[in-house]
Amino acid sequence: MRGEHIGELEELVLLTVGSLYKEAYAVAILDEILENTSRKMDVTAIHSVLRRLEKKGFVTSEMGGATNERGGRRKRFFSLTQAGRRVIEDTMELRLTLYNKLPKLAFVSV
Amino acid sequence: MSEVHEISPPKWASRFLKWYCDPRLLEDLEGDLYEIHQKYVDQDRKSKAKWTYVWLVFRSFRLSALKRNQKFKNSFFAMTKNNFKIAMRVLWRDKFNSSINLLGLTIGIACFLLLGLYVKQELSYDQFHLKKDRIFRSWLKEDYGEGRIFFNSQTPLRFEEMFESNFPEVEKTVQYIELNRLVGRGENRLNEKVTLISHDFFEVFDFPLIDGDTQNPLEGKDNLVISQAFAKKYFGDRDPIGQTLGIQINNEISDFTISAVFADIPYESSIQFDMGISAENGRDIYSERTYTAWFNVSPETYILLKENASITSISEKAEDVALGLMGDTSYGDGPMQKGQYNIGFQPLTDIHLNPDIPLGYAPVSNPQYVFILAAIGILVLIIACINYTTLSAGQSLKRSKEVGMRKVLGAVRGTLIYQYLSESMVLALFAMLIGTIATFLLIPTFNLLTGTEIFFQFEWWHALVYLGIGLLIGLMAGSYPALVISGFKTINILRGGNQSTGKLTARKGLVILQFLVTVFLISTTLIMKQQMQFLQNKDLGYDYEAVISTRLNANPELRRTSERITSGFANGELLKTKLEKYPEITKIAMGSHMFGTSGWINLAFNDDKGDFRRFRLLIVDAAYLNAFEIKMKEGRKFEFENGLDQRQSVILNQTAADYFGLENPVGSKLPGPDFGEHQIIGVTEDFHYSSLHSDIEPLVIVMNPVPIFEGISDADGGDSLIPKLVFTYTGPNLLEATEILKREWEATFPNESWNYEFIDERIKAQYESEARMNKLIGVATVLSIVIASLGLLGLTMLVINSKVKEIGIRKVMGASPSSLFKLLAKGFSIQLIIAIVLSVPITIWLMDKWLANFAYRIDISIGLFFVSSLISIIVAFLVISYHTVRATKVNPVESLRSE
Repeated sequence: MRGEHIGELEELVLLTVGSLYKEAYAVAILDEILENTSRKMDVTAIHSVLRRLEKKGFVTSEMGGATNERGGRRKRFFSLTQAGRRVIEDTMELRLTLYNKLPKLAFVSV
Repeated sequence: MSEVHEISPPKWASRFLKWYCDPRLLEDLEGDLYEIHQKYVDQDRKSKAKWTYVWLVFRSFRLSALKRNQKFKNSFFAMTKNNFKIAMRVLWRDKFNSSINLLGLTIGIACFLLLGLYVKQELSYDQFHLKKDRIFRSWLKEDYGEGRIFFNSQTPLRFEEMFESNFPEVEKTVQYIELNRLVGRGENRLNEKVTLISHDFFEVFDFPLIDGDTQNPLEGKDNLVISQAFAKKYFGDRDPIGQTLGIQINNEISDFTISAVFADIPYESSIQFDMGISAENGRDIYSERTYTAWFNVSPETYILLKENASITSISEKAEDVALGLMGDTSYGDGPMQKGQYNIGFQPLTDIHLNPDIPLGYAPVSNPQYVFILAAIGILVLIIACINYTTLSAGQSLKRSKEVGMRKVLGAVRGTLIYQYLSESMVLALFAMLIGTIATFLLIPTFNLLTGTEIFFQFEWWHALVYLGIGLLIGLMAGSYPALVISGFKTINILRGGNQSTGKLTARKGLVILQFLVTVFLISTTLIMKQQMQFLQNKDLGYDYEAVISTRLNANPELRRTSERITSGFANGELLKTKLEKYPEITKIAMGSHMFGTSGWINLAFNDDKGDFRRFRLLIVDAAYLNAFEIKMKEGRKFEFENGLDQRQSVILNQTAADYFGLENPVGSKLPGPDFGEHQIIGVTEDFHYSSLHSDIEPLVIVMNPVPIFEGISDADGGDSLIPKLVFTYTGPNLLEATEILKREWEATFPNESWNYEFIDERIKAQYESEARMNKLIGVATVLSIVIASLGLLGLTMLVINSKVKEIGIRKVMGASPSSLFKLLAKGFSIQLIIAIVLSVPITIWLMDKWLANFAYRIDISIGLFFVSSLISIIVAFLVISYHTVRATKVNPVESLRSE
């Protein structure tokens, strides 16, 4: 599988899916990202990232219940899979390891 | 379906989404977009909502969202991919034929595009004005019967006011006058075209103002608007706004302040100018009488119609309005009658290609030529397509096994046709690409060769046009071979029997058509060349080798024409005495008109019998007729220091003597009652003073125009009567001549800019459009010869390939190379001869029409057809012999052994 590494945007979306828990569908993710990072994005970009993540097996999706809003269209809710959870943790760990090395190196060079 | 509350997003976008989107993804995707749409609607930003929705629908068009099942994964798409793959392989396998096809098509396309660009340029004149459909130029046609017609597209000054206040349908009326004026102060004065334009000129025409006062640039009388090019010319990088330029209006120089700069006027504009001042300045130039005159013409008057108004309603009542305003203004004896003062209108976009309405300030083109060139462009393209058709059809034999196999495996005819068409389309698109690039690179050369000024403007939608043309060419070229190949009978192919490669007659017909176009073009080029040479070499009846002319100036304070002419001659004398010092300058003379124009002044009078008579007038000094070596038929020329000649002597040309019905012209008078004291002293042999498009007209030559002016009733515009000075330069270097002229001119007239023209160039310039046409067709001819030869090259190759064994056997039996050549050439010779025979009547018919444009023309000779036949036969045989030589060199063992 090629999906061991994930990009920055993918990571961001993955995290948001996790944090929204049961309410993670594209528009909500978009709003959440806008709120937390003030990053203006196109909903189509979110869609395409979500599809990619699903293909890599980091998220799964299921359709929500019937509704009268949104012209009668149901929402597709995403949730983290085990693999998704792990890849987040791996990424975090990697960052942390690198981060912990940072001050030492900086001290040596000064 | 959805429950629609409030505003739903645009339906077509939703439909598009539904069309392409994977149904498994569709519902939530649609829902998300709907939600975003709704959010904007709730904020009451409806159009933002709509456009965001559309934008998002298009942005969602990604590979990951596309339908995977039906539309993109059906056999059609799969086969297309496969077909293109096969097409590339087939083209690559047979490099010789492919490159011939590609080259032929490329050349054809390049020729088509080059001519097409020229035609497009001619057709796009004045199309850039937004209000072009509402802008009209007025014309005036005075018709007093008996051929007394004065037809002008320059109209009286008072028309502007007349249209504005009497026709509610007219939104605006503007006038446009071109003048030549000296611009600048002190040493560097330049002779420039300065235009007088109405203050609201820029509101009618779309000449964008880019700097300065863009709202009301001509508010003041001393305002000046200039083009970007002139801003650079006069002020370099400085800000031109607010700068002043001196322009000589009458005899004094007035300062004009630059109020605005307009973008350079596009090439495809009939109205061309770089400097404009308010029409108010006309008050200083024209007399008060001119402003109220009904018969004096100089401005072009343009009207802008109100929206939805019709031009016919204006032209219907225009004459009545004018006659009403005229009151008892009269022409000749009585008051103006209805039908004598016709006012009409011509759409702005009609000006460039309508030769039926007289010239205004802008030159016009001949629509016939544009049409002919378009037709030739298409013809050349067609012969390029025929190349492909005949070669591929001929080659189809090679591929019969492939076709048989495909059919056995279940290919239906449509699929096969589609496959072969994709081949030709791939090739056509390649050719289109290369041809377009080649065209782009060739434009400067083409302009240089043919004297055109085309350029390549690319806009994004052109890509679609080029793509469309490419596909169309592919379709045209490939449809016949596709039909032939797909029509093979499976059983015959697989049994190994011989296949007929399509109807031979059809292919032969196409080859004949190809030859026909080529031979026709060769003959046409030759005939046109002959006519151009005939015009250039025709004895015009005067000598104009190395003759240089320069326009003299008259004292601007003088108002009367005759006084101005006299003052011009006086100025010329000053220059003449200076030039006489140079031994290499001879035959110095002055005259009111020079050769190489059709604008010699036209005068008219009613003769003793009451018949209306027209003639042209030339005012000369005593040296003029000798300088040009004009021959006398009877009588004598003017003499120097002869008081009688200077006062009253008249010389006619032969045509005038006949026209006036004078049996013994020398010693008699002109047949009009009112002419002043005069006497005819001689008759010249006829000489062609205007272009050879028209017959020689009656000409009256005088030294003193006053007696003639007294007797005339009408004068029709034309070139200025202020004399020009001419001299012949006998030295080795013509550049030297202009240097001398410049030096002496500046010493004599320090305040005037000098000018010069070569008479022979002026005479040549009269046939410029024909010469250009000739060159354009010449280019097309050469290209079509190349294309046809390529086709022939491919065809002979095919024939030889199919006769390898036959040739081998014949060689074994002792056939000589020349008898083999005969064998091969026989088939093509018949086709070529048929083409030549057919081309003769077509050429004669079309060229006869073209030659009718000239009063003096060649006759189409049979000999010419021999020449063009010979050219085509030689080219054809050269091509055939190339392959024959190769084929006969092959050892027969090689060709016979392989079985």
